[in-house]
Amino acid sequence: MKAVGARLPRYDGIEHVTGRTVFVDDVVAHGTLVVKALRSPSHRAVIKALDVSRAEAMPGVRAVVTWKDVPLLEYGHLSALGIPADEPLLAKDEVRYKGQPIAVVAAEDEDTANAAVAAMKLELEELEPLFDVRRAFAPDAPKIHHWGNWYPHFEGEMDRRQIRKGSVEEAFDSADVVVQGVYRPAAIEHVPLETQVCLVVPEANGRLTIYSCTQALYFSMGVVAAHLQVPLNKLKVVGGTVGGGFGGKVDTATETLCSLLALKAGRPVKWRWTREEEFLCSSTRAPWHIEIADAVTKDGWILGRKMLTLHDSGAYARFSPYGLTKHSFHHTGAYTIPNLEFDGFVVFTNRVPTTAMRGFGVTSVSFATETHMSRIAHELDLDPYEVRLKNANRIGDTSPNRIVYTDPSTVPVVKALAQGMGVTLADEYSAMTRDQRSGSLLPEHLVGQLGNPEAH
Amino acid sequence: MNLTVNGVEHTVECAPLTTLLDVLREELGVSGPKAGCEQGGCGSCTVLVDGEPRRSCLTPVAMVDGAAITTVEGLGTPESLSRVQQAFTHHYAAQCGFCTSGMLVAAHAYVEGGGSPDPKAIQEALGGHVCRCTGYVKIIDAVAAAARGEEFDLTVTAASAGMTNLGGVQ
Repeated sequence: MKAVGARLPRYDGIEHVTGRTVFVDDVVAHGTLVVKALRSPSHRAVIKALDVSRAEAMPGVRAVVTWKDVPLLEYGHLSALGIPADEPLLAKDEVRYKGQPIAVVAAEDEDTANAAVAAMKLELEELEPLFDVRRAFAPDAPKIHHWGNWYPHFEGEMDRRQIRKGSVEEAFDSADVVVQGVYRPAAIEHVPLETQVCLVVPEANGRLTIYSCTQALYFSMGVVAAHLQVPLNKLKVVGGTVGGGFGGKVDTATETLCSLLALKAGRPVKWRWTREEEFLCSSTRAPWHIEIADAVTKDGWILGRKMLTLHDSGAYARFSPYGLTKHSFHHTGAYTIPNLEFDGFVVFTNRVPTTAMRGFGVTSVSFATETHMSRIAHELDLDPYEVRLKNANRIGDTSPNRIVYTDPSTVPVVKALAQGMGVTLADEYSAMTRDQRSGSLLPEHLVGQLGNPEAH
Repeated sequence: MNLTVNGVEHTVECAPLTTLLDVLREELGVSGPKAGCEQGGCGSCTVLVDGEPRRSCLTPVAMVDGAAITTVEGLGTPESLSRVQQAFTHHYAAQCGFCTSGMLVAAHAYVEGGGSPDPKAIQEALGGHVCRCTGYVKIIDAVAAAARGEEFDLTVTAASAGMTNLGGVQ
């Protein structure tokens, strides 16, 4: 065990501190063109007309790409898993978020590229946008997505991620108290110091070399190949050096458009987003709306939970159905609740599409469930550590999606937290372990679920 | 215009309002300073102009005609790291590495100028530098160690653990 616990040098540490690490923007290719994008100035509008002819005719402009140039316009980030696509690579008939790319240009220098974007004629007919996930379900809410205002393709055709376990009605009938809370963690921009950046070099052999800041190299390769309708062996993706990502560089934001421009211009092209673009147009962590109602006994056992989650996906689905699924599997937090009724919706709004960030879907549910545990303790005038330790996952307990826990860590973690905070636990609680439930720690409501993935 | 960059003299012909960052990266191929925001907000483009930290993205090249510029590449080499470079490596103060170039240049000026190892003073000195990976603790630890004059033999940590950068577990 030489590696475990050893103090190992970073494999890239010396390169970093001597400035020799080669990020995408540091790669030099002779004759590289500068890329800029025409982006939607509107949150939601119909595209009445788009004319890029003046831009194409400008001296120094080498290629302009619109939706007409994309072999496969719609390819979803989860298409490879059989989840249908909903987002065009470049807007065609309508725009659904401010900053959505409509056309891209490659020019000899930045000033020319910006002038070409300014010369493009775009005629929009504004539509009423939707920003609040709670309004999405109202009959008079604008219908902003061709699938409706929420994602309808869970397990093929369900309009929600749904979990039913045990009997929530019985749990609420036998509860002493119902504890309710609403939790709304906000959107967060990842703000990597390196903005989205890509360099694509068309090679003499017909292949494209793509220098990418992606966090998911093979994934991005598949997305580019699908949009271009070329086999994977036409693409060589160079990546692995990421100037900060935090989940925001999982989406394939630049590689496909740069590839199309490089092919059309026959020259290397580089697209480095400005900080303003990064803030206004790049994906963010989703804002979430989470409602919890728990059936609780007066001594702090949680008998059942009803939960509603509205996951703000922004204008398109991207990875959100996956994020909400993870969220649903963790919706009891680190605790065991046998009777569950969970409904989660991926709701479309006219915000930038949202994506992964540091614990996709799970940070939101952890914030909500942990805050709710403290709320239960507060409302019942119980010790917050004790409520947690009592309901904590133990070996043999089952998760919301019916996985039997074999290695749960809640009990040791909560005890370590108490110790770290200088809290002395009552003997009964300090003696608790994560071993399988028995005696007073196996109350009637948990008997049926113990070690039973088929429970109810 | 004439610039001395990391000890090498250059004659530059470009529009006088071209930023020093663009001249370094695009004209001279010195890619250590990074374009993080190009608005003077993040600090990743920081270089030393006659020993003083400056935002190269906000500095017109005409303002530094005749000056001596030091970028991260000029602080030390892999074989002979400067004190702050050693401390950053030892304390894992560089994570993704993108802010590191500017952070190191500013830390170098601070330490060489006799800056104190007090964390509050270091925070003040590096206040204009944004890092999204580390949470700053390791960076402040590293600068404090360098300010205390600590030196690190970086080969020892690797060898004593039975590890090398290249071979993994031996």
